[in-house]
Amino acid sequence: MRRRGFFEPLQLKVIAGSGKVPPLADLLQALDFESAAEAKLDPALFAEIAGGDRSALERITFRPRMMVNTTGLDLTSELLGAKLFAPIFAGPMGNLKRFHPEGEVAAARGASAAKAPFVLSADSDCSIQEVAAALKSPWWYQVYANAAPVAAKEKIRQASEAGAKALVITATGPVREWAAVEALRKGMKLPVVLKGVVSAAEAKAALEHGVQGIVVSRPARPGAAGLASPMESLASVVDTVAGRVPVLIDGGFRRGGDVLKALATGASAVLLGRPVVWALSAYGAEGVQSMLETTQTDLARDMAMCGKVNLKALDRTVIRVHKA
Amino acid sequence: MRRSATRRMALQSLAAFVAGSPLLETPLLEAQQDPVRDQSRIKALRELESTFDFEPVAFAKLVRSVYDYTAYGSGGEFTMRRNRQAFEWADLIPAATPASGTVQTATTVLGTEMQYPIFVSPTATQGQLHPDGETAMRKGATAASNTPMIVSNNSTLPFAKVAAGPGSPLWVQLYPKQAMDDNKSYLEPAIAAGARAVVVTVDQQAPVYERALRGRNLTAGGRGGGRGGVVSVAASNPYRLPMYRLWYEWRFFDEIRTFVKVPILAKGILTAEDALLCLDHGVDAIYVSNHGGRSLDYSPSTFEVLPEIVDAVRGRVPVVFDGGIRRGADILKALALGANAVCIGRAVRWGLAAYGAEGVQKVLEILQAELKLAMLQTGRTTLAAVDRKMERVHFQ
Ligand SMILES: Cc1cc2nc3c(=O)[nH]c(=O)nc-3n(C[C@H](O)[C@H](O)[C@H](O)COP(=O)(O)O)c2cc1C
Repeated sequence: MRRRGFFEPLQLKVIAGSGKVPPLADLLQALDFESAAEAKLDPALFAEIAGGDRSALERITFRPRMMVNTTGLDLTSELLGAKLFAPIFAGPMGNLKRFHPEGEVAAARGASAAKAPFVLSADSDCSIQEVAAALKSPWWYQVYANAAPVAAKEKIRQASEAGAKALVITATGPVREWAAVEALRKGMKLPVVLKGVVSAAEAKAALEHGVQGIVVSRPARPGAAGLASPMESLASVVDTVAGRVPVLIDGGFRRGGDVLKALATGASAVLLGRPVVWALSAYGAEGVQSMLETTQTDLARDMAMCGKVNLKALDRTVIRVHKA
Repeated sequence: MRRSATRRMALQSLAAFVAGSPLLETPLLEAQQDPVRDQSRIKALRELESTFDFEPVAFAKLVRSVYDYTAYGSGGEFTMRRNRQAFEWADLIPAATPASGTVQTATTVLGTEMQYPIFVSPTATQGQLHPDGETAMRKGATAASNTPMIVSNNSTLPFAKVAAGPGSPLWVQLYPKQAMDDNKSYLEPAIAAGARAVVVTVDQQAPVYERALRGRNLTAGGRGGGRGGVVSVAASNPYRLPMYRLWYEWRFFDEIRTFVKVPILAKGILTAEDALLCLDHGVDAIYVSNHGGRSLDYSPSTFEVLPEIVDAVRGRVPVVFDGGIRRGADILKALALGANAVCIGRAVRWGLAAYGAEGVQKVLEILQAELKLAMLQTGRTTLAAVDRKMERVHFQ
């Protein structure tokens, strides 16, 4: 094992599993929260949420543009009828009471304090109503495509009543379960966002079935690890969708600059998954707020350095994709 | 057998990070825990043979916070690492050494005559590194064949003091100030004191140094102002972004032109588009730089964008280059892609911290000698003969 040297990426230093986390003010970016979670959690539990594939993001550089007045810098946007403060979601993550006694309620409270949109998982340990009560920012409700239809529809009804602005259906099977998707959305007014799309062909099929949004994401199914990473497929999905519905993405996003790379490629927003759990584990709601705010500020700064004053101004000239 | 295979693998995995670190020169990976930091003896000046040798000496002599201020890059330091890596994506093509053996390296950039196409980059607060600060830097630069020096806007000593007495040519660097009078009151005395050109640094609109904010490190001005912010600058937009430089606009160049009669450069250009905008605004030379990886992290290396800028400028104005230069061959690679001259930031700072003016002189003389040698090895005896044909680039 080689020693850490000068030229390594910077990382917060902690003792794994010690239970001792650094002061929140020492954490500068989402990746630091991973270290804090490593310090806080039992190693086996931490292993479930460690890491993430960032290789495609590491192959993208920016094309910084100078001398553009960005004093009016604005990250707001409209998405499926909701106004977003910044295009960074706390994504759907289930069973959060394993990581913090207040589970999804604390995660929601943190996201809300950061004015960040939130997606509540079908596998929530807290009730839909409790979580909704903790949220002032826009939120969506997520179910799995293979969920038992009767119970799922009851939950969707509750979520809609509690204020959810959209329904996220996460693809689970090897073939798209369009019949199941149709059954879940039938008679329901919420816009449907299909999560788990990884190719242009799937995006095309999703459009044909009338979904109102797409999340490019590794599907929750065996063998998905071998597929192209979400960031590698994003451009072709965006090109196929051609603006008809919003395209979102998740998987490995950690820095504000990562988010900018997806937005410049054409995504409308990015979902953070593991960073939310890291922050929740180590610091509860306050950690989630801080992690999201740090990422928002990071994004704002990187936009300014690329001479972009709002999300509409972004396009692919902001980035360069490299071979290696 | 096994041992050497492991060793080879370790070296391969290291390659990306240590391109240019002393680890490459020192085959001590296993014997010593951290050959850069764990110096048991400080080497004497005469023992230092490459520019890399000065950093460990500087490290040994400086308090950690001061060392870090020079060493760090912004964000996760992707760009700072890439600046070094990029030189590995170009191979100089060897050619027969010309019989004459003498190499002509003198040139003129914006009227400033120089024996080598090498400047000292503007870098802040050199007084932290040596009691005589910028004066010692200039003394060393002068001793090294009159190397021109660009004095930072954030110098420890005022420009006039650095310029006092004979020495190498000086240019002055400026961070744009919103109140035009503030630019005037800084530049006019500097130009009167002998600054032959003004370098306007445009690439620091909103940087953040994570390492500086980690507490164990200090920024030039003292302990950082907290998460996401530039040192002690109040954030005043909804995204907590420091506002004090977001107003930057190209017309700044038109405005300072009314009272600056010496040549003006824009420092921090990384795209062809911005290079062309510089020309639209009457800028006299393009300075390709990413602030040594201290500006936007995940910016490209300066070396990989140099061709796009040179091609856009088409010789209408000179192109000056910095970022990651540690060897004479690096300089030649940049010149071959079309840079008219290069600037050296950290390497001369390590020289200054290690051995004052003599350290600066030696760093520059090493680079000068290495440049000459690389020219000979590629069959070039004049700068005019340096061209793209002498190198193969394979950018990633
Ligand atoms: C410690 C330090 C301080 C710097 N201060 C300034 C400065 O005050 N003004 C400026 O325009 N650039 C500044 N720079 C950037 C340098 O001018 C130059 O672009 C960079 O150091 C070149 O990369 P190199 O260090 O790899 O040679 C600074 C760089 C360093 C390392």
